[in-house]
This record gives sequence, structure tokens and C-alpha cells, in this order.
Amino acid sequence: MTNRLRLKPLGIGWLALPGAGYLVLVFALPLLALLASSLFDAEGAFSLAGYGNFLGDSYNAKVVWNTLKIATSVTLICLLIGYPAAFAMARAPVAVQGLMFLALILPLSVGVVVKSFAWTILLRSNGPVNALLLQLGLIDEPLKLLFNERGLIIAAVHVFLPFMVLPIFTVARQIDSRFMDAAATLGGGPLYRFRHVVWPLSLPGVVTGCAFVFSMAVSMYVIPALIVGDRYQTLPALLARAYLFMRDRQAGSTMAVMLLIIAVSIVLLSSWLGRRIEARQQRAQEAA
Amino acid sequence: MNSEKLWHFGSNLILLLVAIFMLAPLVVVVMVSFSSSPVFNLPAPEWSLRWYSALLHKDGLGAVLWLSVKVALVSTLAALVLGTLCAIAIAHGRFRGRDALLAFLVSPLMMPGLVIGVALLQVLREVGLRDVLGALIIGHIVITLPYITRTVHASLALFDMRLIEAARTLGLSPARAVLQVMVPSLAPAFLTSGLFAFLASMDNYPISIFLTDARNKTLPIEILRYLEESPDPTIAALSAGLILFAIIVLFLAERMVGMRRLAQF
Amino acid sequence: MSTLELTGVSKRYGSQAVLDRLDLRVESGEFISLLGPSGCGKTTLLRLIAGLTPSDGGQITVDGQDLTALPAHRRNIGVVFQNYALFPHLTVGENIAFGLKAGGLPRGEIAGRVREALQSVKLAALTDRPISALSGGQQQRVAVARALATRPRLVLLDEPLSALDRKLREHMQIELRRMLRDAGMTAIFVTHDQEEALVMSDRIALMNRGLIEQLDAPQAIYAKPRSLFALNFVGLSSQFAGTVLAAADGQVRVATPVGEICAPGSLLPGSSVTLAVRPEAMRVGGSATASDNQLSLPLSDTVYLGARRLLYFHSAAAHGEDIEALQIIAELPAQDQAAPHIGERLQLSWSVADTLLFPATPQA
Repeated sequence: MTNRLRLKPLGIGWLALPGAGYLVLVFALPLLALLASSLFDAEGAFSLAGYGNFLGDSYNAKVVWNTLKIATSVTLICLLIGYPAAFAMARAPVAVQGLMFLALILPLSVGVVVKSFAWTILLRSNGPVNALLLQLGLIDEPLKLLFNERGLIIAAVHVFLPFMVLPIFTVARQIDSRFMDAAATLGGGPLYRFRHVVWPLSLPGVVTGCAFVFSMAVSMYVIPALIVGDRYQTLPALLARAYLFMRDRQAGSTMAVMLLIIAVSIVLLSSWLGRRIEARQQRAQEAA
Repeated sequence: MNSEKLWHFGSNLILLLVAIFMLAPLVVVVMVSFSSSPVFNLPAPEWSLRWYSALLHKDGLGAVLWLSVKVALVSTLAALVLGTLCAIAIAHGRFRGRDALLAFLVSPLMMPGLVIGVALLQVLREVGLRDVLGALIIGHIVITLPYITRTVHASLALFDMRLIEAARTLGLSPARAVLQVMVPSLAPAFLTSGLFAFLASMDNYPISIFLTDARNKTLPIEILRYLEESPDPTIAALSAGLILFAIIVLFLAERMVGMRRLAQF
Repeated sequence: MSTLELTGVSKRYGSQAVLDRLDLRVESGEFISLLGPSGCGKTTLLRLIAGLTPSDGGQITVDGQDLTALPAHRRNIGVVFQNYALFPHLTVGENIAFGLKAGGLPRGEIAGRVREALQSVKLAALTDRPISALSGGQQQRVAVARALATRPRLVLLDEPLSALDRKLREHMQIELRRMLRDAGMTAIFVTHDQEEALVMSDRIALMNRGLIEQLDAPQAIYAKPRSLFALNFVGLSSQFAGTVLAAADGQVRVATPVGEICAPGSLLPGSSVTLAVRPEAMRVGGSATASDNQLSLPLSDTVYLGARRLLYFHSAAAHGEDIEALQIIAELPAQDQAAPHIGERLQLSWSVADTLLFPATPQA
């Protein structure tokens, strides 16, 4: 089959039609329809009232702000933990690397619901985390970790950390140790080497990891629902409530579109950044 | 010398802490599931299997599990077919915009699941599809397809087509060359992407929540409902079962393709 | 221009000694090659000098200053790496400026030094190009310019030409020597390519198993190898194992499987030795004097090399076993005459003075 198709390379493109067509019908068009429905009111007349009402409401604006703030914190903490971990992993012996893969991928293969449930046990006031902290003498009385943002951030970092570590690990492994040697022989001290060699070379992985984590953290629903509960309002929670309980279609689709815009901007931003980082290579291709 | 040792110690410490952080929740769930206490106390006052027997007697759980498995199985198989065709088209086609097409096919992974679910709900209502199983399968293919397309494409792009030519000079017919040379080298891609697509479908909450109804629920939705209504270690027993399932899946995948390839991003 | 002195430098990995109390002195402005098979410790030695690998013992000094405890970035020793290690995220100019910026030079001076460095390697037009846009030869020159731009005390080169194709490599050997000489730079050059070492070096340090076997000018390394290892690593030779029969007048007479051979030297009768002759010392046919060593053997193979032709003989005494030890090689100018026929019996002779004598070392 492949051979015949290789002789007629143009013909092979049709193979993508079923899959691509499916996604157009079931994914792209519904999203466009959603966008459209956010622009029409209950009587079917064009109106930006949905957006006006939504953004005019200071409560909603606060929810959007809150959603972005939590996602940003989660992303930054994942980066802070994931970056050194990825580099430590890239320099570790193969056996240690294998164990770390297991430690990252096993949780990834277990559902978000299960992991969030686990954190509700761990973070109880008489749970293992508080018991450990008390034992170590780091705190005098149990910390309140459930039903607040602290717990939410801990659980979300746990769920999303592999998506930060793995892309950075991939680039870290590819950074030739001779680049560091070369930088050292040219007189660059440890900090200079990090700032001018390691960091710029690892940026593609950092951008990918942050884009993954931020886009997932913006739209997380299960984790806040279990860790913080109904009272905690993020954009996804509001969206789900608008559809499932209040049946307010325009408000729901407005929020869905807001969430969509955030997600699309992250994708565009990260691919723009990725391209900027590779701009030198592209200039090279243009020159050639 | 000393700074090198310090560096070594520091990086080992980071890895150890990350590993503990990542695995502790799973370990705790399994421990709770074997505890006799109904209030998630650790360490367990006594070990017991009472939550496992409670799990077996839970009404309706079988139906929920069966629905999830059916949806995951069918949507993964459908995505394997559609995704492989797309991957071949992009890897070996000569048309313009192949990169853009690949980006489009993978884009559902970067979109909020709730939004995909809402959008699909509206369209299915317009069309008048009321069948939960059908709606779930349609919706889940949207998220299983990107896994397959991405991994199979990456594997195809690495495949050296000259191997097929080499096989043919050694006397194999084109069909046998593809079957004996290309399929085995793509098998790991099928396997890993299929397993991850399956797990992603089993775990999906945000799309499913809009497509299920009161009588037909998928596993994550049912677990979340239990937890919100009457949290008891029965869910821990169920979770332990799911963790065991994930371990078996990973063990099989590791045996066949190695942990490294599972983690390719 | 600086003098480098190594005393008792050692490096172990686990129980294995990679460098074993090695001494070496490199004079100011000298070009020294570290030549040896892979695993002989030459790259490790280079990394120790650069400060990239900590040593387990000994002392490294440059112009009398002890560098042993200094980290690489404080040593001011330039390194040209194998495959160059040019930073892929920086342009040609930024690569050259890297070390100058790290050294905290003012901006105006950096620009001038970058221009100067690129002019010296004739790449000034490529300043703003990304590294990926350069050919292998251009990358090689950028790597040299980058290492020299910081005006290091000496420069170390780790097989810098091995990634180039043959023709370009031969050109760059000359070019690289010229650049280093123009800069008046003391240089240590690591290679496993004997020809490269012979072409480029003032002196060659022939390394084996973590030690320097012989440190000499290229001519001496080739003509007066001090050990069988040195003999075999550089150039071809015919070799005969044998036992000393008699010694007199600074000559020994040795019994070998192909007959008696005389060599300059003095050893007790009964000693086991190996004799060797370089191919170009062999004369083929006629004009032997009575004092010359002589052999008559059938030709087994010829190899045409353009300017010259190698003739291979296998002694009848070989009996098919251990053929390599009794392979005899002679060299003819190729244009001399038509190639002799294989199987033809030829007269070989060489003067006693051209015979190299090596006492058999136990287990060698």
C-alpha cells in the first residue's frame, strides 16, 4: 500500500480526510457555533450584551482574575520545582532516570479524580502532611490545608508537575555538556554559564512546559471541586454551573468563549515564543 | 571537588523529594483502602478488607465501569484507525500545510475540556442525539485522536523508508515489506499512544459531564459524586483498583517499549 | 606566550589509573601533539590542564603559577573542542564575544576584538550569521577564533580537525599552524592521527596507558622509536623476532626465522629481541654491499599509492601461522618501473644502520 502511494505522493493526503473531517465536524464547528451563540441573545438578535453583562459584573471579573492568578501560581511553582528536577534527572544515572520516569508517569496514568481524592486525605488537619510537619517541629498546630487555595495549589502542582518536568528533561538531556565546558574555558563562572548557556538553551522546554501547565491549570475543574468545594469560584466552575444548573445558555457560552480565548492565546503565545527562540535557525534557512 | 559533591547531593535530594511528592498520594490511597477505620485515619488502627467487600456490593458500579470501558475502548480503536491514516498522510504526503494540519489535529489537547464538552452538547442537542453512549464515544474520540496522531506521526517521521526498499531487494513483496518491516517498528507507537488514549478517556471528566445523564454515568463522574455525597474508604478501594490497573498498563508498556518512550514529549 | 609544566599529574577512575604520575614541560610558543590510541589518557590530560576534570594528584603550573586548584573559568586557557562546541543559540560574533563578555570587557573593546578575531580567520563577513549556517571548515575557524579572542595563556585543541573531510583537513592543518604561530600561542594538540601529528608538531608526546612513551621531534619519533609501541603506532615496518647470537663492535648478530640479521646495539648473547626496518630503508634488487642485511623472498602482494608502491612479502618461515609478525614491507617509487609480478622472487637488502633493535620486554 505504502509503496503504491509513495509513487503517487499527492494521493496520500486524502488519508487525512476522515480524521481531519471528523475533528472539523465534532470539534472546530461546535466551537465556532459556541462563539456565535455567545453573540446572540435569547431572541436570536445579535448582541454583545453577554460579554457586557459578564465583564460588567465585578464578581465575574474577580473570578477571571482569580482563575488566572491560581493558574499563574501553579505554573510558577511547577517551574520552580520542575526545572531543577528535570536537570538533576538529565544528569542522573540511567537507573535513577528510570525510577524517576516511573514516579512521574505512574501518577500521570492515574485519574485526576483519584489523585484529588488522595490529596483530600493527605491534607486533612489530622492527615499525614500535618502529622509530618508537627513531628518535624516545623509547626505547632495543624495547618489548614483543605478548602483553601494552599491545598488547591499543592494538589494542582502534583497533577501538572510531570507536564513541566518531561519537556524540560527532553531539552536538558540534549544540552551538550561540552557547551558548559566551552563556557568555562572562556572564563564564564557558574552563574554566567547558567544565565548565558543553560537557560537560553533550555527555553524551548520551559515554554512548552509552562504552556501545558498554564492551559491545564486555567481550565481545571475536578481539583478545585474536590479540594476547595463549591464555594470556590473559578471560570470553569462558573461555566459548569451556568450550563448544568442554571441553564443560562448565553452566560455559559460567554464564559466558555472567555476560557477558549485564554487557551488559544496561550497556544499562540507559546508557539510565537517557540518560533522566536528558533528565529536564528529560520534566518539561516532564509539566507541559504 | 567539594562543590561537586554538594551538587551531587543536592540533585539527588531534589529527585528524592519529587519522587516522594509524586508517589505519596497513591501510596496513601492504597493504605487507606486497607484500613478498618471509616474516617481515613492514618496509620490505620487495623488492617481490613471491608472496603473491598463494600465495593463489590455497591449497586450500579458495574454498569458505570462497563460504560467507561466501552467508551474508552471504542474511542481508542476509532482513533487508532483515523489517527494512523492522518499520520501517514502528514508524514508521507506532499501537500501544503501539513504542519498546520498536524497542529490542528493535536489542538484538542490544548483546549479546555469543559469548553469542548459545552460546544459538543449544544451541537448534539441541535442534531437531536440523545443516546449517551453514542455521544460519549463521539466526544471522547476528540481527545483520543490527538494522542494517536501525534505519537504515530513522530514514529513514522523517524522511520527510514529505505528499510522497505532494502526488504524488497531481499525478495519481499511490497505488502510483505510493509507488514514485516514497517509495522513492527511502528508497533510501540500504536501501543503506547493507544494505552495513553485509553487512560485519558477513562479519566475524562470535563467532556463527559455534559454528555451523561442521571442514569448513565462514567466512572470519574460517579466517583466525584460519591465523594461529594458520602466520602468513605470504599472510594479508596476503588481508587486502589484503578492504581493497580495503571501499574499493570505501565508494566506491559514498559515491557514492550521501555519507560523512556512512554515519556516522550 | 607561556610555559606549561606538569609534575606527577595523576587521574584515577575507580581503581583504574588513567594518568599515572605524568610529567611534561611545554616551552613557550611551542606546538606539542599528544598522540596515542583511544583510551591512552590524552583527552583526560587535556581536560585536566583546562581544569574541566579535577586531578587526583600532581601539579599543573603555567609560567610558575600553580593552577591546580583553580576552576576552569579562572585559568584563562583556551580550548578548541572536538566538534567545536559552538553555542547554537548565538551568532558567530556572539560566540566570539562570549568569553570577552564573561571577562567583563567594555562593550567598545569587545566589538573591536571580535572584528579582529574574525579578520584573522577570514570570516569577518559572517559575523551575524547563526552557527548553523556555517560549513564545517568555517565552524572550525570560528572555534579557533573564539578560543584565541580572550588572549589565553595557552590553547588546547582536542582533535579539532577530526570532523572535517580529508582534503579540508589537510588544508586546515597548515592553516591552523599558521594562525597559532601568528598569535605566538603555546599549543597542545590532541590527536590519534599520526600523520596529523607529524605534519603539525614541534614535538610529539606519544602516549600509551596513561604515560608518555616518548617525547621527541617528529623526525625522531619516526626514525628512532624508543619502544615497539612507538614503532608500531607511527608508520609501517617489517619486524623479526629473534635471539642475539653474538655482540661485537657496537653490533649484534641475531638469529631470526628468516636467517641471521645484524643490527646496531649491544646486548648479551641469548637475549630475545625484535628487529625492525622501515619500508623506505629496504632496497629491492641489486646493489647490496657485503655488510648489508639481505633477504630473498617471493612477492606476495603490491599496493599502489600514487607516488609510491608498497611491496608485501610473507616469509616462507611463517607457515601460515602468525603471519603478521613476519610480514615484510618494502617501498618503491611508483613511477620507477612496472610493478614486479606477484610470486616473483626478489632480492631485499638494507644497511645495518637502518635496522632498529628492541629488547623483548616481558609480556609485550
